[in-house]
Amino acid sequence: MRTSIRVGAVAMATAAALLMSGCSANTGGGDDGPVKLNYWAWAPNLEKVVDLWNAENPDIQVTVQKQDGGDPAITKLLTAIKAGSGAPDLIQAEYQKIPTLVSSDALADLSEYGAGDIEDSFADGVWDSVTLGSDAIYAIPQDSGPMMFFYRADIFEQLGLTVPTTWDEYAEVARAVHAADPAKYLGTFSSNDAGWFTGMAQQAGASWWGIDGEAWSVDIAETPTETVAGYWGGLVEEGVIDNKPMYTPEWNAGLNNGEQVGWLSAVWAPGVLGGNAADTAGLWKAAPMPQWDVDAPATGNWGGSSTAVTTQSEHQEAATKFATWLNTDAEAVQALVNTSGIYPADAAQAEAALTAPPEFFSNQPDFYEVAAKVADTVSPFTYGPNVNVAYSAYNDEFAKAADAKTQSAFLEAVAAMQKITTDDMKKSGFTVE
Amino acid sequence: MTVTEAPVAIRGSNPPVRRGRGTFRSRVLVPYAMLAPGIILFVAFMAAPIVYTLFLSFQKTKVSGLGLGSGARSTVFAGIDNYVTTLTNTEFGASVGRVLVYGFILIPLMLGLALLFALLLDSRRTRAAGFSRTAIFLPYAVPAVISSLLWGFLYLPAVSPFYFVFDKLGWDVPSLLSSGGVTFAIANIALWGGVGFNMIVMYTSLKSVPSDIYEAAKLDGASEIQIALRIKIPIIAPAIVMTALFSMVATLQVFAEPTTLRPLTNSLSTSWSPLMLVYRDAFTRDDIYSAAATSIVIALVTFAFSFLFLRVVQKRAFGQED
Amino acid sequence: MTTTLVPTRPDRSLRKAERASARTFRQKASPVSTGILIIGAIYCLFPVFWVLMASSKDSSELFSTFTLMPSTHLWDNIVELSQYRDGLFWRWVLNTAIYAGVGALASTWISAISGYVLAKFEFPGKKVVFSILLMGVLVPGVILAIPQYFLLAEVGLTNTMWSVLLPQIISPYGIYLARIYAAASVPTEVIEASRTEGAGELYIFNRIVLPMMGPGLVTIFLFQFVAVWNNFMLPYIMLGDDQLFPVTVGLSGLLNQGASAPSMYTLVITGALLSIIPLIILFLVLQRYWKVDLAAGAVKA
Repeated sequence: MRTSIRVGAVAMATAAALLMSGCSANTGGGDDGPVKLNYWAWAPNLEKVVDLWNAENPDIQVTVQKQDGGDPAITKLLTAIKAGSGAPDLIQAEYQKIPTLVSSDALADLSEYGAGDIEDSFADGVWDSVTLGSDAIYAIPQDSGPMMFFYRADIFEQLGLTVPTTWDEYAEVARAVHAADPAKYLGTFSSNDAGWFTGMAQQAGASWWGIDGEAWSVDIAETPTETVAGYWGGLVEEGVIDNKPMYTPEWNAGLNNGEQVGWLSAVWAPGVLGGNAADTAGLWKAAPMPQWDVDAPATGNWGGSSTAVTTQSEHQEAATKFATWLNTDAEAVQALVNTSGIYPADAAQAEAALTAPPEFFSNQPDFYEVAAKVADTVSPFTYGPNVNVAYSAYNDEFAKAADAKTQSAFLEAVAAMQKITTDDMKKSGFTVE
Repeated sequence: MTVTEAPVAIRGSNPPVRRGRGTFRSRVLVPYAMLAPGIILFVAFMAAPIVYTLFLSFQKTKVSGLGLGSGARSTVFAGIDNYVTTLTNTEFGASVGRVLVYGFILIPLMLGLALLFALLLDSRRTRAAGFSRTAIFLPYAVPAVISSLLWGFLYLPAVSPFYFVFDKLGWDVPSLLSSGGVTFAIANIALWGGVGFNMIVMYTSLKSVPSDIYEAAKLDGASEIQIALRIKIPIIAPAIVMTALFSMVATLQVFAEPTTLRPLTNSLSTSWSPLMLVYRDAFTRDDIYSAAATSIVIALVTFAFSFLFLRVVQKRAFGQED
Repeated sequence: MTTTLVPTRPDRSLRKAERASARTFRQKASPVSTGILIIGAIYCLFPVFWVLMASSKDSSELFSTFTLMPSTHLWDNIVELSQYRDGLFWRWVLNTAIYAGVGALASTWISAISGYVLAKFEFPGKKVVFSILLMGVLVPGVILAIPQYFLLAEVGLTNTMWSVLLPQIISPYGIYLARIYAAASVPTEVIEASRTEGAGELYIFNRIVLPMMGPGLVTIFLFQFVAVWNNFMLPYIMLGDDQLFPVTVGLSGLLNQGASAPSMYTLVITGALLSIIPLIILFLVLQRYWKVDLAAGAVKA
């Protein structure tokens, strides 16, 4: 036992040394040395893009600290903001999180550091989502996720199906696919992916929040969203569309073995398909979303994020400089496309960078031409300050509906989302119409 | 409860150190100085957080107007609003109900199996006991997050070897992750991780009973099963009571397993268990104040168990000292 | 309920007892009882076996071949995992070893000294101190993690190794067990004798009491080791820097990449396998000291 105590003491000393190194790695850098910035992000391989910056800018050194995708990073940031310390300098923030973050006073206004100069690089809709329609600029747009329809071209051909251009046709194709082989589905209704459903509601013309003077409105239970929910509820009730969540091992297996014949996803889908169903490379094709109104083509956004600077950062100007470079510099955007596989928000740079189709879609040379056309048709959508509440309500309510497999349950889920979201805003004291 | 003491000097039953030397220093300062590290850490990392939670539970966020821009959000005193919300929240009641059902499935099954395994290990007619003991204990070393991931794979029909076999046999077995089966699915993960630990607790307890007792019974013609039921189980009853109490506490706190399984199924809501509800309110909904109130309510319910627990423990363990 | 207090053999390890009984009273094997235990063992080993098989597959085989069919990519997966972000996985393993190892060592020492004092000293307030400490057993970690974050943020310690280590050093359960062990295995006369010889209290504890509590302390160590290793929530909330993550939080990150990136199932499964192995070894080495004499030990006191 005595020996083990001594061993313990040695272990303690070693650990203490490691602890010190662990701590010092985290401090923000003194006045003399280079500015050190911490960047919480989850885009794959982002650190390789940042390495380019670090090589050229010895004065401003950025460290990527990889986070769990999306929600957890924002959760941690909000906790750190409340606690008064612990936030990084920069954070990858999805567009729908920006109102929440602004409302919690987590994001610095970058307009005073000259971020307004790059306004013209971005589409108006994208720019609106980082300014919230105000004079402030809360983030620099990084990528966007216009939704598209992905399908197994080989199976479509085998079954003699044509690519659906309207939602009615989509339903017909779904029936045909399932009739040909009961194990196969054209898609699945996922109660786990609120962003996915939001994108589809957006396509149908929904905008779940709105600002009317000094009051918010919550417009979830309106015709567009009810139409979308009723449509999917009908297909699930009929049994021609699967009701299991996406991003599960089961769903992956379905992508691999051809049971999932299609996927309503966004422009970044090739990365996911390549990672989880590599053997199906060259078998997929991308098309615009099926439409509600063919004369007025539209799509929604799923995913897409920006680079924001936190209010706790002591180097906001340096951070702005970096964020601007990352998302508008030709070399940086090219690197983002090549190593992180994102679809840049900066339209001009995107066109220059996206010359060849993604490797997974080498069978479709016009992949990015289709994408660019689709990206032009993204419908406007306003996010509110409690997207998190609406999204978790989506998870719970639509999980129940998908389990019940009835159209009426889907419609009830929409009403429940509306109620939960409105109640939460009123409870917090927001002025709600 | 009667305690009969065997007429043997037990090493451990020494009286505590005499109060003899009586100076204030030795009587008070020395023990408290030696307890200091423990007490300081306890205050800093358990007591203070609890007090802080209590403090948070009486507050709420107040937003004015659109709530955008700095200063639009402030924290105000909420009185008992958060507690009213928690206690009238049907989601909270439902989550407590689900966890009770889960506990009724898990605890008897887990402790029953643990007891069975412990008795079998203790039986001299069992072979390969060392291997079995290690194998059954092994899952205790696997973190719940990882074990839930593994079992998730084994549950999903499309990737599960079990369903592969069912399929080959032509059986149509419903998914364990469907709404009817999900409680069992979670209980199975907890059973897998916990049965070995409880088995070891009971086995250790069995081992500390001298074999002379059994020999006597054997001479009287008692069978192994009779010995197990009439002698062994009563002797280790205290250990069984303790494992039951710890299991009940753990049941109320179930969190990691359903949280990891949730993305795989439509049958688990974000408020499936009470602690998931706390987590959702605190992190997903960004309302730490409601979460704090719910935490306090859960803690109080657990403390109700705590006093029961303390009574049992103190009567059994330290009755002679107090 | 009647409990008979009986003489016990507190110092005997399980294995010794087993060997002794096997030697003296080896009896006819019972296929039924052996069989039931083997079934239990298979149930417990099956998922581990599955991980082994799954970690030998590449990412498309994982979803396209029969799940229990082994493949040949185990080494490739280990290499790929090791190369992920310049060997970050091994940094996570090291971090876990620090959090669980150092945390459990410190926790064991503090539990031991607290348990010893509570068992062997008489002082005012003893009962209150013990009862309050014991209530800590029942407070769930998930509830504590949030306020712990706020309090540590006050002193600027969030997102450091300390924020994961310090809160897990205090273990009410460890103190409870240590009190039982101290009561059962430390004879008062020995302490008295050392005091008469003029030994200091800390000297007595470190040099005389600790060795006596030996096997019990191994139990507390393992118990706390597993508790830290199992605690996902605390590091998940406290840490933003992925260089400081323990394995569990790191692997969960590989799984939850957000919608636009694929989950790295093969890496996660390989990582799960690699991180379970050291624990299995630790358990095999230390398991004969396991002595979770919860209540029986208590009765002894």
